[in-house]
Amino acid sequence: MLIRFVKANFLKTFSKPSTRIFLLAFGILFFLPMGFFYLLKRRGNAYKSQMQGIRRRLEENGEKASLEAEIRGHVEKKLAFFGKGGRRNAESEIAKILEVRLDEHVKQLLAEEAPEQKDVSYRGVVAESLENPAILLLFIISGFPALLFLLLMSNPYVKYIYERLIMMVFVVFGVTFLVFTILYISPMDASYNMLGENATQERRDQFNATYGLDKPYIQQLVNTFKGIVTLNPGISYQGGEKVIAKLMNKFPITLQLAFSCLLVSVLIAVPSGVLSALKPNSILDYAVMLIALIGLSIPVFWFGLILILNLSIHHHILRATFEPGSWKAYIMPAIVLGTSLAASVARTTRSSMLEVINQDYIVTAKAKGLSRTRVILRHALGNALIPIVTLVGMQFGIMLGGTAVTEMVFNIPGIGSWLVEKQFIPDAPVVVSGVVYIAIVISLMNLFVDILYAFLDPRIKARIKGY
Amino acid sequence: MNGKNQFLKKAQARKLQRFPELNALNISWAASFSLALLLLFNSFDWELKGFIVDSPAFYVAALYLIPAGLSLSLSICSARGIARSGAIPVFVRRISLLLAPFALAGNIFAAIAGFTTVKKSKSLEYQLLTCAFLNNLMVIMTASLNFFKDSLPDYFAPAISALAFTLAFYLAAMAALHRAQKTGGYKRLYPIAFASILTAATGNIFALILGLAIISKIRSSDSNRTIEWIETLRRIFRNYMAVLGMLVIIFLVTLSVCSIFTFDYAIATTNDYSNMLKPPSLAFPFGTDDVGRCVFTRIVFGARISLFIGIIATAIPLIAGGFLGSVAGNYGSKLDNGIMRILDIFHAVPSTLLTIAIVAAFGASTFNLIIALSLSNIPVYARTMRAQVMVVSNNEFVEAARACGRRKYEILFKHIIPNSLAPMIVRASVSIGIAVLSTSSLSYLGLGVEPKIPEWGNILKVGSKYLETNPYLAVYPGIFIIILVLAFNFLGDGLRDALDPKMK
Repeated sequence: MLIRFVKANFLKTFSKPSTRIFLLAFGILFFLPMGFFYLLKRRGNAYKSQMQGIRRRLEENGEKASLEAEIRGHVEKKLAFFGKGGRRNAESEIAKILEVRLDEHVKQLLAEEAPEQKDVSYRGVVAESLENPAILLLFIISGFPALLFLLLMSNPYVKYIYERLIMMVFVVFGVTFLVFTILYISPMDASYNMLGENATQERRDQFNATYGLDKPYIQQLVNTFKGIVTLNPGISYQGGEKVIAKLMNKFPITLQLAFSCLLVSVLIAVPSGVLSALKPNSILDYAVMLIALIGLSIPVFWFGLILILNLSIHHHILRATFEPGSWKAYIMPAIVLGTSLAASVARTTRSSMLEVINQDYIVTAKAKGLSRTRVILRHALGNALIPIVTLVGMQFGIMLGGTAVTEMVFNIPGIGSWLVEKQFIPDAPVVVSGVVYIAIVISLMNLFVDILYAFLDPRIKARIKGY
Repeated sequence: MNGKNQFLKKAQARKLQRFPELNALNISWAASFSLALLLLFNSFDWELKGFIVDSPAFYVAALYLIPAGLSLSLSICSARGIARSGAIPVFVRRISLLLAPFALAGNIFAAIAGFTTVKKSKSLEYQLLTCAFLNNLMVIMTASLNFFKDSLPDYFAPAISALAFTLAFYLAAMAALHRAQKTGGYKRLYPIAFASILTAATGNIFALILGLAIISKIRSSDSNRTIEWIETLRRIFRNYMAVLGMLVIIFLVTLSVCSIFTFDYAIATTNDYSNMLKPPSLAFPFGTDDVGRCVFTRIVFGARISLFIGIIATAIPLIAGGFLGSVAGNYGSKLDNGIMRILDIFHAVPSTLLTIAIVAAFGASTFNLIIALSLSNIPVYARTMRAQVMVVSNNEFVEAARACGRRKYEILFKHIIPNSLAPMIVRASVSIGIAVLSTSSLSYLGLGVEPKIPEWGNILKVGSKYLETNPYLAVYPGIFIIILVLAFNFLGDGLRDALDPKMK
């Protein structure tokens, strides 16, 4: 039981390069001796030499030549049919086909002549030896971390998340590299913008030395990577604040804003989308869809200004400036930012509901005598939710990045407005870390949405399990 | 009994839906009525508790109530006629021509309803001609607002007379088309097609399409064979909202082209301290800003920038992303993996942030803005194209081409790419609107177009400083942004329906 489990998982984990590296690293105490064992076994194995022998025999008795002639005939006929010349092309094609066919033939002959001979691979050797209880015990003792790793990877969800996280690490490094390089090759000079045009060269050099700007490109890039990973991306040029502390201050505000607008938009959009799908082509449907389309077309900042004009300046219902800690301050920004999201969610809800509502299983549910609300809410909406969840997840990322405009209109001290203020310098540590950390949050969010999927859609659950 | 009634009601509704005239009339009265209400609301003085009777808004509102009532009664009459005899009564069609002149009051809905209802069998050419006519008429009317200004631009008179000449030409072409369809001499329309392409120099894309459609119809040997792009166009013209969207877009294109001669760029850019912060009047329809520039003229010239950036910032990622996506979808897993992983990096950064980073590095300018917008859009296009190429390359006609010995790149460019373009076109039409939105919001942040250029976001930025005292400075440019983006969204929806294989 244990043997079979460990062996199967070993084979699966070993076959993928992304998991293989970690498996080998965790179980180095076990896999290194197994390597020597494998080398020993390979030396004693005659498979390769026998294959060579058969090949030589085929060449000598003219079978290779006859095979080549046969292939040449086929290829030349084909070329003549399509009316294309090209001697060199033909030769390389013949050689390629010949190699494949010869290899197949040799393997077949070998299997007939000496069926007990098998090719050895490291993977095969280890898997075979794990069947021996003594070696298995050795593996459990010496390669304990690797065993734990195998156990984790045996859960399809964990494995899926693990692979996504590995991908994410690459993307994060890519983003850091991209943003840093863009700022590095920029013609703007931070020291010039910070110290003013009258500053002496000496002071400028001093500034550059303080922030490590005099170092070569590679070293600066490595330092940036280090700063991102150790959560210490340095000090901002302007004001000399610690970037991470400031970021931690501002991030909750942006996140709160994004979540409140998510809430507003979903609460408005899903019911109206469902209603307009239940009565397609009615006046209600047209009205909802027209409003949704207008919502998609309104510039965020303009809508914000109009709300300020009407609610704050003319009627004094809400304050135009942001006060931290009061929920009222989030009302206008949430409406403004949530409008375009609500519009696209309503459109998606309508189209996916329309698709679902005509399916056979809805007719079945109705025929069973279920109440109308139950059919709509449980059977139809439950299945129509899948594209909505995708959309909301994706839009959430866009929103986190797009809060900049709203934050500027309402004077909210969030990340977006901070980045906009700092970009004129350009304040490299702030811009790089702001962009990279938001990208990380968005990637985590996307991962979360993809996992949420598996719970909503049995088809995707099946796919992850089989993976 | 109840079920039967419901069924009859549904059948009746389906019958009515078959008449586009009814739809146009209904939209005409609803839109005219709401516009009239809006104008009345504007001319209402809250302090005096009464209407300002001698304001232009009040007159126009009264003028809009006439087509509203007319369309409503025509709509009721034709609905009754359809119920009784299955057709719209002849007198309704005749009277409906009265709606067309309201185009002169700027009521485009009534004009469309009039032109739609007056003719029973509407060919595509007729619809294109009416759109071309209405389009140039609106351009002339917009330009003639300059009569209220102190001075006219240098080439104003020749430009306006050229535009008026195109109007006369479109009317003549309509008559010729009517005769050709009656007598069957379609081949004689050749000169009209060429002349119509010539009038497209004003920026009137309807005229261009009309000319090309007539020429390709005459050229095609078999008159029964349908030409695919003309069929698609016909399906688009069945969608009222898509036509309206096209009309708005092409109107702005024509306006931008003609504004070289019909508007004075100096009014939009030079400071005039004698006319600072004037409220809307006939000379300055949208008022003047803090240095006395005419906001209306600035908006007219801003249309050019917005359309230009929107189109270029969509064309670049469309081509680049389409190319990368089709290569990734067609050639091997290694190239696919490489391209898609690099694009994943661009995809992970929200477009606003990527733009901020690029602008931070290279400064705010139109060129940098276009590059930034394009870069952040490439992954989306590449993904769409890749998915589509993968679906299409599993089709049997691709296999047939391969069996015939076509090379891989030949199959890709001749068979796969043309058949996977539909979702790309739909996405592009919507994303021009999104690009216009992003351009204006980035300009508002000071990250977009240079502040001296009259771009809609820049105009709005100036206006937002005077929100308390002169709110109209910020309101009008915003409305124009909404209208343009809305038009592209309508067109995108129409294109999606027209290109959907299920609709064919």
